Amino acid sequence: MDTSWLTKAWADPRALSASLWLIIALPALGALVCGVLGKALGRTYVNLLACATVLGSFVLSVFVFQAVAADSSVFALSPASGTAIRFALAGDWGTWFSAGGFTAHFGLLVDHLSATMLMVVTGVGFLIHLYSTGYMEHDEGYWRFFAYLNLFMAMMLTLVLADNLVLLFVGWEGVGLCSYLLVGYYYTDEAKAWAGRKAFVANRVGDFAFLMAMMLIVLTVTAYAQSPANSTPVTAWQQRKAIWTRAVSDPGPLNFQVLEEFARVLPPSAVTANKNLLEANIPSGPLAGYTYGGTLTVIFFLLLLGATGKSAQLPLYVWLPDAMAGPTPVSALIHAATMVTAGVYLLCRMSPLLVLCPAAMATVAVVGAVTALFAALIAFAQDDMKKILAYSTISQLGYMFLGVGVGIFWAAILHLVTHACFKGCLFLSAGSVMHGNADELDIKRLGGLRKEMPWTTACFGIATLTITGIVPLSGFFSKDDILDGALHARIAGAPWVGPWVYAIGMVGAVATAFYMSRLYLLAFTGERSKQAKVPHAHESGWVMVAPLVILAALSVILVTHGIPGVIQRPGGPPVTVMEEFLKPVFDLPAGVAREAESLHEVPASSTPVTVLLYVFGWLVALVGGAAALVLYKRVFPARAGRPVPALLAGIRSFTVNKFYVDELYDAFIYRPIKWLAIGLFRVVDEFIIDTLAVRGTAWVTARIGSILRYLQTGDAQAYAAVMAVGLLVGVGYALFQVLAR
Amino acid sequence: MSLPASQVAIQNYLLVAALLFCMGMLGVLVRRNALVVFMSIELMLNAANLTFLAFARDRLDLTGHLAALFVIAVAAAEAAIGLAIVIAVFRNRGTVNVEDIRTMKY
Repeated sequence: MDTSWLTKAWADPRALSASLWLIIALPALGALVCGVLGKALGRTYVNLLACATVLGSFVLSVFVFQAVAADSSVFALSPASGTAIRFALAGDWGTWFSAGGFTAHFGLLVDHLSATMLMVVTGVGFLIHLYSTGYMEHDEGYWRFFAYLNLFMAMMLTLVLADNLVLLFVGWEGVGLCSYLLVGYYYTDEAKAWAGRKAFVANRVGDFAFLMAMMLIVLTVTAYAQSPANSTPVTAWQQRKAIWTRAVSDPGPLNFQVLEEFARVLPPSAVTANKNLLEANIPSGPLAGYTYGGTLTVIFFLLLLGATGKSAQLPLYVWLPDAMAGPTPVSALIHAATMVTAGVYLLCRMSPLLVLCPAAMATVAVVGAVTALFAALIAFAQDDMKKILAYSTISQLGYMFLGVGVGIFWAAILHLVTHACFKGCLFLSAGSVMHGNADELDIKRLGGLRKEMPWTTACFGIATLTITGIVPLSGFFSKDDILDGALHARIAGAPWVGPWVYAIGMVGAVATAFYMSRLYLLAFTGERSKQAKVPHAHESGWVMVAPLVILAALSVILVTHGIPGVIQRPGGPPVTVMEEFLKPVFDLPAGVAREAESLHEVPASSTPVTVLLYVFGWLVALVGGAAALVLYKRVFPARAGRPVPALLAGIRSFTVNKFYVDELYDAFIYRPIKWLAIGLFRVVDEFIIDTLAVRGTAWVTARIGSILRYLQTGDAQAYAAVMAVGLLVGVGYALFQVLAR
Repeated sequence: MSLPASQVAIQNYLLVAALLFCMGMLGVLVRRNALVVFMSIELMLNAANLTFLAFARDRLDLTGHLAALFVIAVAAAEAAIGLAIVIAVFRNRGTVNVEDIRTMKY
């Protein structure tokens, strides 16, 4: 069979590079037209336009993805080293802005990592746009909704395609804005508008840290660029540094290629004549005196805080459950599949530098693991279907952070992709359930949907099995690849992190299996609840069911990318398809980590042990699911009507109230800030500015005027006399000056 | 530059001008009749004119003449408007005594 068409780019790579901007521009155009003319165009055309623009982006993305992934002759030149970047497409549309010595370009880059993200964003995005046309069929604000949704696509694609941190930040803020607009979409409901604000403010906390991190990176990179060249005459290296220094001033210090090249020179290696720059002091600039390594660690703590804001990790996760106030397709697209994974993407993008900071890596891993377990435990006792899925999203994002933290970036990205599929499917199914049950979300008031909504039930069931980690589905492998990697990873200086996060992750896996099974059992099986709003549910139309089926199918198919040991690398251990696929991107961080000795991998002892570990992972999932089955099918129905033990009731109410985290934040952050703000308002605004400065000036002027007006006698001759006296004094003074000389 | 002996020294002109100005000013300050006040103002303006001309002659500079012409034009305009106001006030109040016209006060 001729397979050459698979390994050759379908379209001319140069043409693809030059049209990368279209991927962003199409949804942006859709947003503009839907937002400005949407009401006049009418529902049909808005639906058509919104879906068509995203479909256009998707088709372009498929071509780009194929070129990057399949054709090894496709490459772009790196401005930072003058050499080819691993198979990538890049387009640069010149200087975006420059201030002083700082420059940022409007440049886009697609390598294997952003190509993967591109497929997730446009693929899932298109399915959700299609689904929305059905979901929003009774909503009057459809044009507003689709304008926001298209704008979100444009912003998310900017985030994914950007080849520098500044442009990425534009997308980062843009998706935050769209998230705010869409969470508060039903703005007439005050609680929902409030949820939008909460999401925005929690994100701003993270964004502030991100901004600080960017500034520190600029200072560090420019300080290094201005430092005198390496004293040891390594000519090739000096040439390279000259190119790099030019790149720092022209595409700018925040260009990813510049940063990657920076990561190459920091650890002791052949290029730097074994000098460990991490422990060297920064020679000049505002950071003079600090070490490069220390500054980088601070930078990554700040970036981590930024990522926890966007990706809803501890301590900034509180906005995500409330963000479920938005329409369900929004929850699926923004708050499950794409936007919330931006933090993971960011950390993976910065991975060459991240691996130089073991402390930051350990923190990322611990934050991820703790969040994974914590959110899963909260999900135990929630009754709102979307709230459960929201906590589940937080928990799954925790697994991705865990993976990033222990340096298994490819597994984090694989989990990101599979999560986008199965969680997208779960959310869309939840939306389908809402659509067929008069917006009922309480799983205790649903039940028995299996007979009435067969397609939704099937898709939800498959996705539940996937997230639970049942063997032949993708979620099992993507999660267990992360956990298996964590077990074998040793972070320098904190070797306990790997095994510990593995243990926490395993407990989290039991919890995940439990709450997801509970959700499925209560909502879809058994008898229909007597408190249901409508006596019979109806299955949704094909535009809503088709995306469900496709996403469910994808969450099965993607298993091919996670099975360990499928691809035999020459001279190395067998790896998964995904690891091999992302190798061009994550080879660099792996190499940097080797040189910096920040990360070690304990080799798996033998294949049977690995298999046993995966079987253990599977059993863990089965135990969780079985526990839910026994409890909710046997124990609780049998105990119905009997009083609950006080301890259990206490635990339940503690969990139902989300461990009182919101109350904690309310008491320790929200209220003090609110009182401080009220105090400042009363003292500074109302007293100093309003009373003293503004009204005080007016009052003093009025008083003085009312005194001085008595000088106005109306007698013109008196005025003239005053003038004459003044003149006389002036003349006298002049005479005095002249005579006294 | 020294002056020809036949010419009158500039100090004399300036003294006359200052005298005229003081007379005018005194008139403005002490006279009650608005018309007389006006005439006194004319006196002051002409004192200024005389000063301009004296300096213009002394320095052989025509700018002073120009300024004097301006002053004359302004004085004419001022007299026209001033007299119109005085007539209007007289029609209204039956007096041109400035002490009786003090309505523009606090």
